[in-house]
Amino acid sequence: MNKTLSLSIFAVCASFFLISCIKDTDFDQTEDIALTPIVELDLIYFNLRADRFFDSINSNPILTVRDTTEIKFLDDTGLQESLKRAEFYFKFTNSIPRSFQVDFQFLSETNDTTYVSGTSVAEGAPATPVITEFIENVEGDDILEITKANKVVVSVTIPSSDENLEGTLNLKSKTTYFLEY
Amino acid sequence: MRNFLTITLSLLGFFAVSQNKQILYGFDDIPQSLMLNPGSEVTHKKHYGIPFLSQIHVNGGSSGVSVYDIFKDGSDNINDRITQQIFEMKNTDFFTATQQLELINFGWRAKNEIYFSGGVYQEFDFIAYFPRDLAILAWEGNRDYLDYEFDLGEISTTGDFMTVYHFGINKQITDKLTVGARLKLYSSMFSYRSVNNAGTFVTTLGDDDSANIYEHTIRNADVSVETSGYASLRELDGASQVTSEILGRAFFGGNLGVGVDLGFTYDINEAWTLSASAQDVGAIFHSKDVESYSAKGNYTLDGINLIFPPLNQGDPTFPYYDDLEDEIEREIPIDTLNNSYTQFRPVKLNAALSYGFGRFNASGDCDCLNMGGGMQHKNNVGLQFYSIFRPKGPQMAGTFFYHRRVTDYLSAKATYTVDSYSFSNVGLGVSADIGKVNFYIAADNLIKYSNLAKAKSVSLQLGFNIIIDEE
Repeated sequence: MNKTLSLSIFAVCASFFLISCIKDTDFDQTEDIALTPIVELDLIYFNLRADRFFDSINSNPILTVRDTTEIKFLDDTGLQESLKRAEFYFKFTNSIPRSFQVDFQFLSETNDTTYVSGTSVAEGAPATPVITEFIENVEGDDILEITKANKVVVSVTIPSSDENLEGTLNLKSKTTYFLEY
Repeated sequence: MRNFLTITLSLLGFFAVSQNKQILYGFDDIPQSLMLNPGSEVTHKKHYGIPFLSQIHVNGGSSGVSVYDIFKDGSDNINDRITQQIFEMKNTDFFTATQQLELINFGWRAKNEIYFSGGVYQEFDFIAYFPRDLAILAWEGNRDYLDYEFDLGEISTTGDFMTVYHFGINKQITDKLTVGARLKLYSSMFSYRSVNNAGTFVTTLGDDDSANIYEHTIRNADVSVETSGYASLRELDGASQVTSEILGRAFFGGNLGVGVDLGFTYDINEAWTLSASAQDVGAIFHSKDVESYSAKGNYTLDGINLIFPPLNQGDPTFPYYDDLEDEIEREIPIDTLNNSYTQFRPVKLNAALSYGFGRFNASGDCDCLNMGGGMQHKNNVGLQFYSIFRPKGPQMAGTFFYHRRVTDYLSAKATYTVDSYSFSNVGLGVSADIGKVNFYIAADNLIKYSNLAKAKSVSLQLGFNIIIDEE
């Protein structure tokens, strides 16, 4: 075999490595990639006994009790950009023979109200607790408002109270976060 | 030639890529085959690798998914394809990338018939197993996976960037047996690993007695990341500072290690030859610039328990959220440690059984290329075995090969390989001597070259040497 011929064979073989290509692909699709996880997460819970609504020392009813907690993750920049919808689920189990008004006030770091929500809770009885479920769906422009908040004030209001009132108001809650990255 | 090189180098960008160099193994015409088996039969007198060009090796692979699987041009939605691939892939599927660049390579036969060889090369090696459960959690969330235990132990990944200084000896000790050994000194510039992790995360629906709607539980978590050469980089400013710092470690400035390569070639008879080698039997001792992170514990999250404490006007309530964060940090503390650690190199095993036929005597009556004694064949066929030890066990490959010496300056080797990536991997390597200059190129997965996007792995080696044959 002469040198020219074998070099030609080598050239053909070598060029074989150069004809590779990437076909039938569209890398512009990268822009369409969207992670859309749906995350279920517990929120707050409490057990309020009936005697919390009566000041036994001064014999005065306490018609509204309040508590506040920070929820720092809510105004995180990452969540602000990726949260598309949030569904809050509250489940009250009431064995106090009174109805309640429960309000949720979302506050920003500077204590400006960004979002409010609330529900009435049906009257129960010590032997037969009554369940009230409440769903608050937040989407669209409201997402902007709720993700400015980093704390929530929970107010529980009873229409009337006395020292003989018995039972417990229990709350369990969770949020479903519909995210998109 | 310059254009050829330019085009070839520019193509490297396409290769995403394991460390199997099945084409180069036993390809004795190429000096770099000595790097795979220090006990291979050396037929030349001296060789000098052309600095920075004597071996360029890139290898990348993904055992479970190809670029085409995700990015194919079609009317269906890319997110549906990703979802499908996430569920089709297993937690033993992996992604690897290896790159090697020889800076210097040289060898010569001394008067005592020992072939000495040495050099310096830089290596980058990465592997990540597919953390299937965590991918599902990130992609879909936990809503549809109540009671499903997401396995945190699926996190398994290592990465290394190092310089290797090596020196080897090779000698034919009998008519049939050639043996060799190579001592290696590793200078690790950057290294991390997160292996042997454990733990689960599960969201369960609570019952009437539960504190809240769900219980989010992390159970028996034991997750760690070990790094070396990373902590000092964090304080640097900008890419140029980081680059100069890393390169400064190339010359024994990093964490040092030591290892050996061992190998032999045994001519069973005139036709049959058996060879085997073990590479990188050694370890790197990370003691400088070491930082490790470890998280261990159990925790169940129920949400925030409001107490409604009786407060006077203006009194602050309990710092529920901060308390919760503190509680999580207390139950699953993240410790930062600076303990030294030893990292064993991934040992690579190669073995081959070959059958030669057709006497090769390209240069007339004198069998000048073959002062070593054994007969060179025009054709060799055989089987090769390759194995590399990875965090979740060895990855193996089997190869059928055909090697042909076309002329005294041109030889070629074709391979068919079955491995974790595919059952249809055909590779081809060519070695040409143009004067004293040797050029070689080897690549696999050629069937997929018409559309590399469909390939799950690609391996390419190429390089230039100056070879001085026996007089």
